[in-house]
Amino acid sequence: MAGERMDIEVAEKQLKSLDHSEQHYFNSYNHHGIHEEMLKDEVRTRSYMNAIVQNKHIFKDKVVLDVGCGTGILSMFAAKAGAKHVIGVDMSTIIFKAREIVKVNGLSDKITLIQGKMEEIDMPFPQVDIIISEWMGYFLLYESMLDTVLYARDKFLAKDGLIFPDKATIFVAGIEDGDYKEEKIGFWDNVYGFDYSPLKETALSEPLVDTVDMKAVVTDPTAVFTIDLYKVQPEDLAFSCPFDLTARRDDFIHALVAWFDIEFTACHKPVRFSTGPHTKYTHWKQTVFYLQDMLTVQQGEKVECSLHNRPNDKNKRDLDIKVEYRLETQDPNRQAGGSCLYKMC
Amino acid sequence: MAEAYPRSDSESASSSDNEEDWLNKAGDEDDEEEHEQVSVVSLFDDKVFPDAPAMLAYCKDKFGFDFVGVRDRLGLDFHGCVKLINLVRRSVKEGAALPREITADHLADDDKLLIPVLADDALIFCLDDLPESGKGQQGGSSAEIKAEEAQAGTGEKPAVDDLLQKNAQLQAEMEQLAKQFTNYRLAVEQTLDKRWGVDEEGEKKKAESSSSKTAAPEPKVDDSAYYFESYDHIDIHETMIKDTVRTNAYRDFIYANKHLFAGKTVLDIGCGTGILSMFCARAGAARVLAVDNSAILDKARENIFHNQLDSVITCIRGRIEDVVLPVDKVDIIVSEWMGYCLLYEAMLPSVFFARDKYLRPDGLLVPSHASMWIAPVSDGEYVAESVSWWRDVYGFDMKAMQAGIYTDVKMTVMPKDAVCGTAHAFRMLDLHTAKVEDLVFEDKWQTTLSDKVEALDGFLVWFDCFFAESRTEAVEPSLTAKEWAAAGRERVAFTTGPFDTATHWRQGLYLIDKGKAKEIEVGPGKKLAGEIRYAIQEDHARGLSIRVTWGLEDADKQSQTWLLN
Repeated sequence: MAGERMDIEVAEKQLKSLDHSEQHYFNSYNHHGIHEEMLKDEVRTRSYMNAIVQNKHIFKDKVVLDVGCGTGILSMFAAKAGAKHVIGVDMSTIIFKAREIVKVNGLSDKITLIQGKMEEIDMPFPQVDIIISEWMGYFLLYESMLDTVLYARDKFLAKDGLIFPDKATIFVAGIEDGDYKEEKIGFWDNVYGFDYSPLKETALSEPLVDTVDMKAVVTDPTAVFTIDLYKVQPEDLAFSCPFDLTARRDDFIHALVAWFDIEFTACHKPVRFSTGPHTKYTHWKQTVFYLQDMLTVQQGEKVECSLHNRPNDKNKRDLDIKVEYRLETQDPNRQAGGSCLYKMC
Repeated sequence: MAEAYPRSDSESASSSDNEEDWLNKAGDEDDEEEHEQVSVVSLFDDKVFPDAPAMLAYCKDKFGFDFVGVRDRLGLDFHGCVKLINLVRRSVKEGAALPREITADHLADDDKLLIPVLADDALIFCLDDLPESGKGQQGGSSAEIKAEEAQAGTGEKPAVDDLLQKNAQLQAEMEQLAKQFTNYRLAVEQTLDKRWGVDEEGEKKKAESSSSKTAAPEPKVDDSAYYFESYDHIDIHETMIKDTVRTNAYRDFIYANKHLFAGKTVLDIGCGTGILSMFCARAGAARVLAVDNSAILDKARENIFHNQLDSVITCIRGRIEDVVLPVDKVDIIVSEWMGYCLLYEAMLPSVFFARDKYLRPDGLLVPSHASMWIAPVSDGEYVAESVSWWRDVYGFDMKAMQAGIYTDVKMTVMPKDAVCGTAHAFRMLDLHTAKVEDLVFEDKWQTTLSDKVEALDGFLVWFDCFFAESRTEAVEPSLTAKEWAAAGRERVAFTTGPFDTATHWRQGLYLIDKGKAKEIEVGPGKKLAGEIRYAIQEDHARGLSIRVTWGLEDADKQSQTWLLN
């Protein structure tokens, strides 16, 4: 107990030596709320559970690394699946809770939990057979731990080692969202009789994390960016990709919605889950990018778009995003195009 | 005006039309401000002067620092002067010694020095009042004209044409300099938006330790940067404005009582985006002073400007304890200071400070009263979902995650059916007369349990807010917001309790630790009694420590303490 308290003091000192923005990031994860929300996200937790405990043949006698282990739930799944040993790493002081949890569940001899930055800790094993991680953030990449996973992959994963999950895809679709856009963005035009337009620009530049009704989706969804966890390099996460959205019906497009799918392809029976508007709620919800203009589209017409994403120079967990769009039609009155800048911070 | 600016290299303001538009408007705003009283704070202490030359003369006499001398020695342009000012102010604030001789290196390429150390530093806006470089009236710019003239004079052209041309050139430069100045303001605002609290925090910490050693009335140090910083983001302001229970109450009171506001001077403490200030201005206030210590004030300024209320409302950035108001007294103080469980975040002492310093003896506080309520809670479903749940998470026991569940106040919106007994108003604050001491207390409370009680799971705490039209209008301590508003004339009041529309304040849920607490026999009609104590946490001045004592009437009492952080 006393030893643990000292650990906490050391951890707090380490935390305090970080940049302010980093400190804020790591500390915010200390609140139970976020862990409760993640654990209660059944789509997420159950997918990981299925991917791990239904594949005992893969995990048996393997050394597993859990990057960003949080409360230790994935580490415990891996231990239950027969792993020889699991190393859970997390920067947040939540790891002290995880230690208690692992102990209460009689898995202390199977799971080693290390508090610190992946890049700085001493690993008890030079190599691991499997990396498991739940690293995804809103819009897949916002505040994500992917860079840490890639570091762990390059430094510790054995040749032919496995990554759970190993594939992530970002999808985009156009949505009719007039009422909500009015409520969220138009709101600032008239706040109790006052013009609040300075805040409107800010509101437009902040992508909105919220649930989108499937009925609002006007175009076919398009996969715009796929990550192969075995191959991707950190610099690939600054990307630009062109794509087309084809209207399914005559309607208006006020915004683009983005979500992601996650796959565990190494499983005997592949496990995948989606965070899209067509499926069950997850705590990631979807991410909505409001366009300056409203597009009036007819069934079958294409909106040519491109999505540019790059980590912010100052705070790499923030994202700078640009969306360009152009609607080409025969009808000159409906032709429209533009480009919008967003910041997720 | 432009002549006073040193000539700058042609770092042209390449702003788009839009920006230019905005900047010009901002410039107009400045002109108006210039007619107002100016108070220039000394570079080395907190003496205040009506103009910059007087202040600098004082600094030269008393502290041996010759600002104009340094400026001329280094040939500083406008930005250079700003950096020099901030360098000196920062050193003074940190208690660090100034370099024996300030050189260009001290000011080189350090954009941090463009961030004003003193909010709304009048000295920066008065730079053009300073004597020009060189002796007498001859400014650098006219000297340069002469040099150029001399060159031009070698040609054949008559001097008059040249002079006309120079004149036009100078006028263009003047405009450009004015533009640069507004650009600088914009740059500072943007830099502040980005960096406030981040880059400065280290400095603040240093300043804190140095000022604690010297008890001298140094410029006061903000020890709660994070608190103010958290209000920089617009989400929280959106949440607050869209809390219609809250915003409607202020609007309804202010608009329904225009006679109280007409021609009056109003102080808005913690103005945020400026909504309450604008209500007051629209209600006819002659002057509104909007004070906030967060970077959101820049948005407030823009909002106020866009709504053509900038001639009525003056925005002042800083803590109310530190800022210098341009008036001695105000007629009305309006503030939205309420925190979770009413007193969390401890903004009320600042309102009291302002009330005692600035409010006229017959002045009005808006809102005028606040009351705090407690009621017993019984909600088996909530306990199952939030407490027992941790014992079986996908087959694992996560009881470690329950830590804090019985020691922290949980802010949540509870359904009214969770309340299992009568609610008790344990404290009514008349804000006109309340004191800081009244915010730390132990009060008695009691309840009669209803038929909703299955088990006593905890307590719920909330507050009501009242808007009286005069200082003499009393509010009965046991009246709910609804009862008070409905009694007699139309009056404005709102509740944050479980029986009405939810607000962003939610309610405070205090769960009883049943592992430790003695079980008491509960049932409809039974009476509970006890005390509730509010105290400030020792290590976190904006946090609260709240102890509730309870037990059956005439029986032994037990207690539990919760923290609100």
